[in-house]
Amino acid sequence: MFLSLYRIIKFSLQDIIRNTWLSVVTVIIMVLALFTVNMLLVVKVIGQTAVEAVKEKIDVSLYLDSNASEQQIMVLKSKIVNLPEVSEVKYISKDEALSEFQMRYEDKPIIAETLKELGKNPLTPMLIIKPRNLDVFNNLINKIKNFDDAIIESKNFANYEEMISKINNITTKVGEAALALALIFVLVTFLVVYNSVRVAIYTHRREIKIMKLVGASNAFIEAPFIFSGVVYAAIGIILIMLLFYPFLNLLQPYLETFFVSYNVNLINEFFGQNVYKIYGAQFAAAVFINVVASFFAVSKYTKG
Amino acid sequence: MIKFENVSKVYNKGSLVLNKIDLHIKPGEFVSIVGQSGTGKTTLIKTLIGEERFDEGRVTVGGWDITNISQREIPFLRRQIGVIFQDFKLLNKKTLFENVAFAMEVCGESHDKIKKIVPHVMKIVGLEAKMNSFPQEVSGGEQQRVAIARALVHRPKILLADEPTGNLDTLNTYEIIDLLLRINRFGTTVALVTHNREVVNRLKRRVITLENGMIISDQEEGKYIL
Repeated sequence: MFLSLYRIIKFSLQDIIRNTWLSVVTVIIMVLALFTVNMLLVVKVIGQTAVEAVKEKIDVSLYLDSNASEQQIMVLKSKIVNLPEVSEVKYISKDEALSEFQMRYEDKPIIAETLKELGKNPLTPMLIIKPRNLDVFNNLINKIKNFDDAIIESKNFANYEEMISKINNITTKVGEAALALALIFVLVTFLVVYNSVRVAIYTHRREIKIMKLVGASNAFIEAPFIFSGVVYAAIGIILIMLLFYPFLNLLQPYLETFFVSYNVNLINEFFGQNVYKIYGAQFAAAVFINVVASFFAVSKYTKG
Repeated sequence: MIKFENVSKVYNKGSLVLNKIDLHIKPGEFVSIVGQSGTGKTTLIKTLIGEERFDEGRVTVGGWDITNISQREIPFLRRQIGVIFQDFKLLNKKTLFENVAFAMEVCGESHDKIKKIVPHVMKIVGLEAKMNSFPQEVSGGEQQRVAIARALVHRPKILLADEPTGNLDTLNTYEIIDLLLRINRFGTTVALVTHNREVVNRLKRRVITLENGMIISDQEEGKYIL
């Protein structure tokens, strides 16, 4: 058994080394296919981060009565902060609201003049409530609606509900489209790799027939080709890791500029704790495709 | 050693390539099977190694009835018969040594046995100095000698040669034929398929002549009669 295994490995490595250009081309196709898959993963990570960034921006502004006392407001705030759906509550006083308003519109003198005409601060204090995530938003709105607190000026959240519904729709559709696109790319990648392996074995068809004439069994002929498939997959994975790491290093600064204040670290994502999962799965998939393709391609020439 | 009993074969388009062939080749014989192209000579050889199935009759090789041989058994049949071909059929990415050794490796022979026997067989065919060359680095005659070495290395009782000199010049042709005669002297049954008149007439051995898939002549010290 060990002798057979030794011969399988020997024949496989001999074939890979002595058919240099064919091996190089097969590995290049493998690496390109893996690059596509890895780019899909990058797009998925970036897409997910973008969606999370949008969702994080969603908060509820609860406008309070201008005459509400600080104590009343703090009591309400602590009630809301203790809700399980809430991640954070920020209190903006009337004066802070006015300052922010003036800063926002400092390049619009007509706004400043209008405020001067009014003679008093028209803005009300508010609580800015951040939900834990978008999924609990509706629950949160319903609970706030049920608060029996006289200092809450308005309990009309219809705009929010409509906006959340739209955002959820869009993110769901984007997710579905991304999944469909990913599946198409994966299928194309599968077909490209499968056929490149079949073409490589097609070039060996004469040798396969000769081996049969000399008395080799089908298993003796097929095994080295299947082992070669594993070797190509391993070389492909090593190369893609060597290529992708510097690529991500190049991409990272641009992402950090785009996603200011969000932690999107692709290097950590791909080469940190997930490295075995990501590249292990890719290696397993590449081995599977290569082995299946090799088996069916060689079987075609060992039949009969 | 080889027995054809009433063997017929029809190809798909209704063409009768072997027509009720009755033939017995005894152990140790040297037989030439001659005929023009398309008379069924190669089909006869292919039948003996299980590459072609026949439609009627029975074939026995070394006592083994191969009439209904299964796909799984064919490699074992081929390991017992040495075959050489017109186009040599060497593995181009293996050295001459590795080509010959391959025939032993498929039988599961040990590394030590291969290291001992292959150089010895390469010496018999006169190629011990070129064991590490590749087929494309040697001449046609040398390639055919490697093919003979590969065919002999597991000591088959039967050696089938299908037009082995078809791609060779006259000098190499006679060298190969002399090698086959030497092999036959050691007790191996040799069946030589050829359409080379001079070779057949020079051999003065049994000649079986095929025409239209039938045996039209079978002479002990025969000549090329077509």
